[in-house]
Amino acid sequence: MEKITDRQKILIVDDSEMNRAILADMLDGEFDIIEAENGEEGVAMLQKHGPEISLVLLDIVMPVMDGFGVLTQMNKYRWIEDIPVIMISAERGSSHIERAFELGITDFISRPFDALIVHRRVVNTILLYAKQKRLTAMVAEQIYEKEQRSSLMIDILSHCVEFRNGESGMHVRNVHILTETLLNALLRKTDRYHISQADISVISTASALHDIGKIAIPEEILNKPGKFTPEEFAIMKTHSMVGAEMLENLPSYQNEPLVSFAYQICRWHHERWDGRGYPDGLAGDEIPISAQIVAMADVYDALTSERVYKPPFSHEQAVNMIVGGECGQFNPLMLECLEECADEIRQELAAGGEQRRSQRDIQNMARELHRHKELTASERSLELLEHERMKYSFFASLTKEIQFEYTISPPALVLNSWGSEKLDLPEALLDPYQHPEALSIINKDVQSKLADALHSTTPGSPVVQCDCKLTIKGEERWHRIVARASWSSEEPPRYTGCIGKAMDIHNSRLQLENLERQASHDSLTGLVNRAYAKKRIIERLEDRPAGRYAMAILDLDYFKSANDTYGHMFGDEVLKFLAERMRHSIRGGDIAARVGGDEFLIFLEYKDDLEGAIEGIYSRVSGGVYKDFAISVSMGVASTQEAGCDYDSLFRCADQALYVVKHSGEKGHYNYYHKENAIDTATSAVSPIDAESKEESE
Amino acid sequence: MTLKECYAALNGDYEEAMGWLRSERLVQKFVLKFLDDGSFDLLCRSMESGDQPEAFRAAHTIKGVCANMAFSALLKSSSQLTELLRGGDMGDQAQELFERVKADYARTAQAIQAFREEAGG
Repeated sequence: MEKITDRQKILIVDDSEMNRAILADMLDGEFDIIEAENGEEGVAMLQKHGPEISLVLLDIVMPVMDGFGVLTQMNKYRWIEDIPVIMISAERGSSHIERAFELGITDFISRPFDALIVHRRVVNTILLYAKQKRLTAMVAEQIYEKEQRSSLMIDILSHCVEFRNGESGMHVRNVHILTETLLNALLRKTDRYHISQADISVISTASALHDIGKIAIPEEILNKPGKFTPEEFAIMKTHSMVGAEMLENLPSYQNEPLVSFAYQICRWHHERWDGRGYPDGLAGDEIPISAQIVAMADVYDALTSERVYKPPFSHEQAVNMIVGGECGQFNPLMLECLEECADEIRQELAAGGEQRRSQRDIQNMARELHRHKELTASERSLELLEHERMKYSFFASLTKEIQFEYTISPPALVLNSWGSEKLDLPEALLDPYQHPEALSIINKDVQSKLADALHSTTPGSPVVQCDCKLTIKGEERWHRIVARASWSSEEPPRYTGCIGKAMDIHNSRLQLENLERQASHDSLTGLVNRAYAKKRIIERLEDRPAGRYAMAILDLDYFKSANDTYGHMFGDEVLKFLAERMRHSIRGGDIAARVGGDEFLIFLEYKDDLEGAIEGIYSRVSGGVYKDFAISVSMGVASTQEAGCDYDSLFRCADQALYVVKHSGEKGHYNYYHKENAIDTATSAVSPIDAESKEESE
Repeated sequence: MTLKECYAALNGDYEEAMGWLRSERLVQKFVLKFLDDGSFDLLCRSMESGDQPEAFRAAHTIKGVCANMAFSALLKSSSQLTELLRGGDMGDQAQELFERVKADYARTAQAIQAFREEAGG
């Protein structure tokens, strides 16, 4: 029984026992080591173990047969295609190394060698070859399966024809084997017909269809035991043209090599080299080579098979009859082939060709694969892929966006070329987290927020968006980052990175900010407007309801007369002047707003001394002159302690307190609201227009 | 005698050998094994009988092994001999070098022998 082992076999060919021992020791435990002490022994080992050997470590200078001799043998038997060779030698001449690579070695290690390097290269080479072998086998398997199916259909079809013909059913099979054998012989002899291994396979398959036109011949003629009358023979002869026409009239597949070869074969397999065949009377190499070959195979099989009217002839008899021109003239080159491969033909026909053929098919396919001729399907996919990439990069270059792709392992950032230029970073950046220039672009907090957001997405909804400032070439600009997390397809899915883009939204963001500002600020004084102040005050009150707050409503006395005397422009100036004073008399967290007209509002938080704070504010706001106009302010103040902890009550009570001042006949001072002094709730100092806008804003 | 002292005695570079073989176990193992290698005997025989190709291969093998073991002195003389023999030279110069190789080998062998005895081998 064969020894079953998972371990890869390595052959060490070196004349020094010491060297073999050192190498074996380096690889021991992981591999099965077999040794040969010269080239000839090495070749014998290769012969014996064949593809079981995963790798050869080969010395150059050896007695009996040197390393180059071994490589020559490995090329001769094509082992070099399947078994990788690493050459190890103290020879340093580049001509030696070059010659070794030309002979197909995978790697060259100079002596003295480093144990780690030898080990690593051996492992890498074995992995690489194993992968390539698996891929080749996979593709070959698929192609083979496909071909198997189509040959099966063709065989069934041609057997139907044969069955009607009363033939044994072996004719199609034999013609197939003969066609293939003769073609191979021809290929060995000459390359003048430009036949590839793939062609041989297609022509042999197509050969099964050579008599397909017989389906249109009446059965009485087809199966007539005796000789044909000239009329009958004329009808019989139409089968080649009929078969060709049937193929020509196929609605599709006209460009399939199988169909075009089958057409040639059907139409011209009764033509002869001297031009005396039918239907077209072609001569010499006017007859396609596929038809010439099948014609000979057809005749040979007819001669060596038993028919009602004749016994089977022997191979020699048949060859003699064909060479002697008894069945018409053939290409002299092909007559040579027929004579030369007599043994092969006998063996193949006896073995049924099947087993050996399929093996050879696979070998041929594998060989073709090596030459990349059969890879059209994947080439097409690659082309499509290339096209998509071209499309993508074209559109990417138009959009003026920074597009990026980040992978965790290896940590790498890839930018589109526009983005790379914009950010002044390379298009591919390894380890961006170690790259200070990349890090300086995006704020650390935003980075980690974005990373957190991406990590907490799911494969089902992997997209995140965030607006943030990026520092690009020293300038801070607002960007919108939209990114899609990549999740692996395994269970549970693993976060592998992201793709995304960053769009410059700086201008629109500024516009928006401007609009927001316009909506929340009074355009004349630059203070916040009443609606915005209300919103902020409510937020503050809700945020810390336990705090002590107060609201003051201010009214500029005699403002109407300022307008009347000096004009509205002057009135506006006075309002601005007062607003400026207010701005300077409040503390950071306080709010100063223009309620409307000549009325203003201040909201403040206090600890103990409300009176002190109010006195301070009032003294800075009221008094003095603007140009010739004396600034006098009346003010009503309400605290949350007195009025209650909500905006409406505060406003109403401060308004009431102001009303009291305004109607006291003594403007230019301020007044506190006290619960016990509360007056009719309908009275208000705030002008009706303001009261209205107050309604609206609520 | 330690392995390091053995290297010093045979004019070798212990650190370099560690660099190639990566473990003291391997260095020691192959130092001890060196005397069993037949290449030196083969070199002597073929130098005597005038078998130039065989002599070249034997010298070449010694050179390769010495390189990996970092036996610097023997590596130097055997490398020079290898190059002479590669050119087909078996004359006086080759004989002279051969004597050097023999001397270096003897010194190496002596050191290893001493180490082996102490190592209980």
